[in-house]
Amino acid sequence: MKFRRYFGEHLFPPLLGAALFLLVWMILAQSSDALPGPMKTLDSAIALFSDPFYQKTPNDQGIGWNILNSLGRVGVGFGLAALIGIPLGFIVGRIQFIDKMTSPIISMLRPVSPLAWLPIGLLVFKAANPAAIWVIFISSIWPMIINTAMGVRQLPQDYMNVARVLNLSEWKIFTKILFPATLPYMLTGIRLAIGTAWLVIVAAEMLTGGVGIGFWVWDEWNNLNVEHIIIAIFVVGIVGLLLEMLLVRIAKRFSY
Amino acid sequence: MKQTGAILGAAGIMSMVPMGTRAAAWAAGSDAPELKEVKVGFIPLTDCASLVIASVMKFDEKYGIKIVLSKEASWAGVRDKLTNGELHAAHVLYGLVYGVHLGIGGQKKDMSVLMTLNNNGQAITLSNQLKDKGVTTGGALKKLVDAEKRDYTFAQTFPTGTHAMWLYYWLASHDINPLLDVKTITVPPPQMVANMRIGNMDGFCVGEPWNNRAIYDKIGFTAATTQDIWKDHPEKVLGCTAEFSQKYPNTSRALIMAVLEASKYIDEMSNRRKVAEIIADKSYVNCPVEVIDQRLEGKYEDGLGKKWNDPNYMKFCSDGAVNFPYLSDGMWFLTQHKRWGLLKEDPDYLAVAKKINQIDLYKQAASQVKVPVPKDVMRTSKLMDGTVWDGKDPKKYAASFKVRAS
Repeated sequence: MKFRRYFGEHLFPPLLGAALFLLVWMILAQSSDALPGPMKTLDSAIALFSDPFYQKTPNDQGIGWNILNSLGRVGVGFGLAALIGIPLGFIVGRIQFIDKMTSPIISMLRPVSPLAWLPIGLLVFKAANPAAIWVIFISSIWPMIINTAMGVRQLPQDYMNVARVLNLSEWKIFTKILFPATLPYMLTGIRLAIGTAWLVIVAAEMLTGGVGIGFWVWDEWNNLNVEHIIIAIFVVGIVGLLLEMLLVRIAKRFSY
Repeated sequence: MKQTGAILGAAGIMSMVPMGTRAAAWAAGSDAPELKEVKVGFIPLTDCASLVIASVMKFDEKYGIKIVLSKEASWAGVRDKLTNGELHAAHVLYGLVYGVHLGIGGQKKDMSVLMTLNNNGQAITLSNQLKDKGVTTGGALKKLVDAEKRDYTFAQTFPTGTHAMWLYYWLASHDINPLLDVKTITVPPPQMVANMRIGNMDGFCVGEPWNNRAIYDKIGFTAATTQDIWKDHPEKVLGCTAEFSQKYPNTSRALIMAVLEASKYIDEMSNRRKVAEIIADKSYVNCPVEVIDQRLEGKYEDGLGKKWNDPNYMKFCSDGAVNFPYLSDGMWFLTQHKRWGLLKEDPDYLAVAKKINQIDLYKQAASQVKVPVPKDVMRTSKLMDGTVWDGKDPKKYAASFKVRAS
């Protein structure tokens, strides 16, 4: 009985969703001769993942290497964005003058399409890989600044009054009040940012080339290999989901 | 072989020294490549073959270098990586190198053409929708464009590149102004095919295997091959920055020699099937062998039922006639850039071509691998509309076209 209830509440809905998704896909594939169906895609996915870490030539490496290379770029770009964005968010949230100074610039730059930053990166860094990392950096920094700053601003005035009465140093205020209170906001920012970063890397690699899941998709598109493109969609989606889940895990550990 | 020492300099003298001594001098180091690893970019197209063969068959090692091939995403990507030094050299569109040198279609940077990689082997594909309307030739296209007003979309691969120039020339020869009468856009080949499939693209000009692919995928047909527009036209070149060829002359020569040997190998028709198999690999063109093989061997079909053996198939060497960086070839692209308004003023055609095309380096390299060098730095070609281009009066030639940018 217990299993049945668990099944009905937790397992059945996602399974039904997946089944409906596959059904729609199969119907679409039936009516188009160019779009491969789920079974055909599964076959080539099995072939592809049976040897994910081969290295034949620099221009032909296994899907595993491509994913790892992309993750590496995201890690560096995202890490730099966190390193700079979060402290910046605290400063912007804490000091009103700086907030007013920077807010028009941030509001203007935030909606810019990430890929518009690529040529700038190429011009400044004179190399494709740093340019791709730069695109990750610039597109994932905004949610971190904005959410962290918002967290700081949301801080109840009472907390600060208490701090003033107790005559706490700025450092104590930061470690004992500001940081714990803004943490949930900060983590939301980080989660939004990792989603964007992963989204952007695929597009950036399509333009810059090199080893990575983005250029892999581009190369398969050149070959008009639709099965591999669909597999790549799943790979990108699943890796994105895993990254997000990982961060939610971390967020839960830190929530007080 | 008639060579004048004055032009050839050291290499001319070298070629008179017996082979054994020369090899010893080579090993002694004065001519040793300054740079052992050469990073060379390519776009997955049939005409990247000589670079791939030079690397796969190890012709590069014979001349003391290692070619590291890097597959690139787009011509704009090749341009950026060449100018910022990430690539030492690349398989690149002739017109692109000239455009970058003059600061059109990219940041201005002094460029070099080390050699021409191939002649012929591109084509203009029109969509099956046009065929259904009875359009199979340029003349019929002109009638349709006049009769039925709508947006006609044509695509090429890079604004200053060869495909843009072939497409414009072909349209203009049929009295269609590519800038006024139709819409021309720059998109990558897979996007051309995807758009043609859904009826958004009327035609495109691109290198093989894409035109054959359009027939294979039943979305279009070959209306004209580029060898119909200009028999033995220059196409891709081995390009690099002027900085590279000045700083590493020995490496540049070694690179030319390795690619020349590969070019000779590919031009043996008996080797072509094997070449198709090598370059079809996932590391290179990443496409079924059959799609590359046919046209590489000169076996054409146009998708309308006509089959023929084209004597002017894609050539890679032709005893060096393909590879010599003729000044007139380079200048031709400048005349077309001027014709279509990409260049506002007439440049000093001859001076620009002399600066870009590294004739001395090429001659030295060619004499080492026994590839004949033509006597004249200009050649005379007759194009599809009957006009003759001999490089003598580029300014007048550029101004002579009736259909042009207004």
